Amino acid sequence: MYLPSGVYHETYRADNAWWQTTFVRAKMALLVVLLLVGVPLAGNYPLSIANVIGYTILSALGVQLLIGYCGMITLGHAAFIAVGAYVTAIGMLRYGLPYSVSMVLGAILAGLWSVLFGLPSAKVKGFYLIMTTMAAQFVTVDFIITQYVSRVGGRGHYFSLPPGTITIGPWVIDTELKVYYLMICLVTLCTVGMANLLRTRVGRAWIAIRDNDIAAEMMGVNVVRYKLLAFFVAGVLGGIAGAFWISSLYVVSAEHFQFSWSIWIVGVILIGGVGSLHGVIFGSVFVTVLLEALKFAVIPLSDAFPALSTGFLYIKEGVFGLAIVLFLLYEPHGLAYRWQQFKNYFNLWPFAY
Amino acid sequence: MRMKTLIRIACSFLMATLLPLQAGAQSEVKLGSLNDFTGPTSDVGKDAALGIREAVGYVNDTGGINGKRIKLLQYDYGYRVPEAITTYKRFRDFDKVVAVFGWGTGDTEALAPTVAKDKLPYLSHSFSAFLADPKKTPYNFIYGTDYSSNARAAMTAWYDQVWLKDPRFKAERDKGVKPRFVSFYMKACPYCSAAIKALNDHAAILGFEVGPDQDVPLTALDVKSQIIAVEGFKPHLIWHGNIVMSVATALKDARALGLKADHIVNNWGFDENLVKLAGPAAEGVIGPAVNAFYGEKAPLMDKVVEYAKKMTPGVPQQNRLIRTVQSWVDVLLMREALVRADKAGKLNGPGIKEAFESIRDWTPGLGRPPITITPTDHRPGSFVRVYRIQKGKFNLLEAVDLKKRWPEKWDMWLGY
Repeated sequence: MYLPSGVYHETYRADNAWWQTTFVRAKMALLVVLLLVGVPLAGNYPLSIANVIGYTILSALGVQLLIGYCGMITLGHAAFIAVGAYVTAIGMLRYGLPYSVSMVLGAILAGLWSVLFGLPSAKVKGFYLIMTTMAAQFVTVDFIITQYVSRVGGRGHYFSLPPGTITIGPWVIDTELKVYYLMICLVTLCTVGMANLLRTRVGRAWIAIRDNDIAAEMMGVNVVRYKLLAFFVAGVLGGIAGAFWISSLYVVSAEHFQFSWSIWIVGVILIGGVGSLHGVIFGSVFVTVLLEALKFAVIPLSDAFPALSTGFLYIKEGVFGLAIVLFLLYEPHGLAYRWQQFKNYFNLWPFAY
Repeated sequence: MRMKTLIRIACSFLMATLLPLQAGAQSEVKLGSLNDFTGPTSDVGKDAALGIREAVGYVNDTGGINGKRIKLLQYDYGYRVPEAITTYKRFRDFDKVVAVFGWGTGDTEALAPTVAKDKLPYLSHSFSAFLADPKKTPYNFIYGTDYSSNARAAMTAWYDQVWLKDPRFKAERDKGVKPRFVSFYMKACPYCSAAIKALNDHAAILGFEVGPDQDVPLTALDVKSQIIAVEGFKPHLIWHGNIVMSVATALKDARALGLKADHIVNNWGFDENLVKLAGPAAEGVIGPAVNAFYGEKAPLMDKVVEYAKKMTPGVPQQNRLIRTVQSWVDVLLMREALVRADKAGKLNGPGIKEAFESIRDWTPGLGRPPITITPTDHRPGSFVRVYRIQKGKFNLLEAVDLKKRWPEKWDMWLGY
């Protein structure tokens, strides 16, 4: 890690500290100001984009944990997000629980549900594990939720949550700005939590399993236990993502949590960088902003070519696929790696060697 | 050189972005439209979307909204609720439209509370009865008779004209057998299941025996197992709640397996394409139509055909459907409300709602029975024309006026 001349560490704790120089601390302070004051000033539309970014980050964190830190590829994470969202919604609508309590319940249930579908990981790896995670997607969303859960409360707008339904104490979350602040809180909490977890015994065990599970087992890591723990934490993060997202959705529907979203968040970490928390954030920002920018590129052309705006949905998905292919070809380590290179360049400038 | 090219591209892009902004500064009325070009309902959605575009073209050519042009923002949302929500937010926050043309039942019902909160009038192609009760969904409007009324009317017409008159059923009628009835629809789909409660209620009123409902996906390619499941029940009548493609599959499979039952279909499953897709299996099928079929003799139909030829020359005339005509009714009803609201100087959410609710016995022609919308009842009417397919043609079987026939029940059926 790069440190300017004259900075020395005397303890292990200091060596592992996050922000070690004044420059970095100043940068972080700037980031906080930007996030808390700068973005909210930009208006409703940028805020709604920021909220989508936040949701993508929360969704992708669990996937990053499973794929990037524990080496288990998952293609069914939307199922756990769905569990979080539905449990939170049912808790509020049917049992009258406060939002925060329902959210905790949703997160825990999503975690347990995830452990259930993580059980096969004790026996299977690689492609076979991918199949079991896909099973989680189809069993949970396409079967249980679509056929049964979404029909709780009869037809109509039972799962409708118009702005203002969700409150934390006296704080009514009814505008994009309030959703944004909730998002900032949750993203900070989850990212900091994950970053710290990865530096503990648990995190090191996960990384050992990712790098070589047989070697890890020989060193005394209980592989099954830690794999299931990874599934639990990933499920909890997914549950939080789902519980958060209903605050900006107006309605919970099984269609929000389709297979395509599971794939989407795997694509996000591929673009951002596998095995990096920065990667989650960069990937989410890049993908979301890219697609919004695309919208603005299409609008002026749509007067001449109406097909562009009507078919925008599919142009969007095509561009996402193209972005993944291009990243795998030209930037296989993702944006996080590029960011590292960029920082190094300036740190060493003008005497790069 | 490369830099220059880049700058050139950037400049021309900037120009392209800014020019329309200047041009759009004159007075215009922005309307959003959610359509399905590619999703599971695209068999009817594409034609409806074209119809909206053509009808708006006609409105703009004939004076717009008191001289203001309509700027139509039309998006494909693939019949997906999440896309509908994203697009709705976009209409509200970014495009700032004054009203929305909606499409599907699932997304329209789910958005209804939000629409009410935002006070944004929402005129949908979904005729779910649920959207017609202003106590629950004050800002939702529909331009055709609701699904429950359509289903009740189709059932009534079959009962009056077929069960009571057809010699096929004489022996059973004389024995006092109750007509047996089952429903085929996709249970998890809000559109398909919208009329079920009303149907079962109506079956009880007319004295039918109701068999087990069958789950048929909207994208079904094979309905044989469902047909076999009802063979033992020997239904006289089957109601199909899905859309054309799926209904055609069910009709063909019923014919192939020799099921002796008559079929009634909800309005989105009953159009010119059904005849083409189901062929001889469509013979005798009964269904409601909320306005005239494409090209049928009716006031203003010449304009519909003219604009279809002019604005969408790529689609052959024989492929156009009743959906185009429905979209015209949709757009012209919206225009009527906008014109009234604009005259009153209240071209905003509550003003447009008031204008909609002031419409009495109004029709744009096109074979649409008069529309009346009141502050307490958003059902546009109680008069349903029910047709029967005979030799590939749609012949009027019976025009059912539900309010006249069940005056004491009509008010109770609101939002049912």
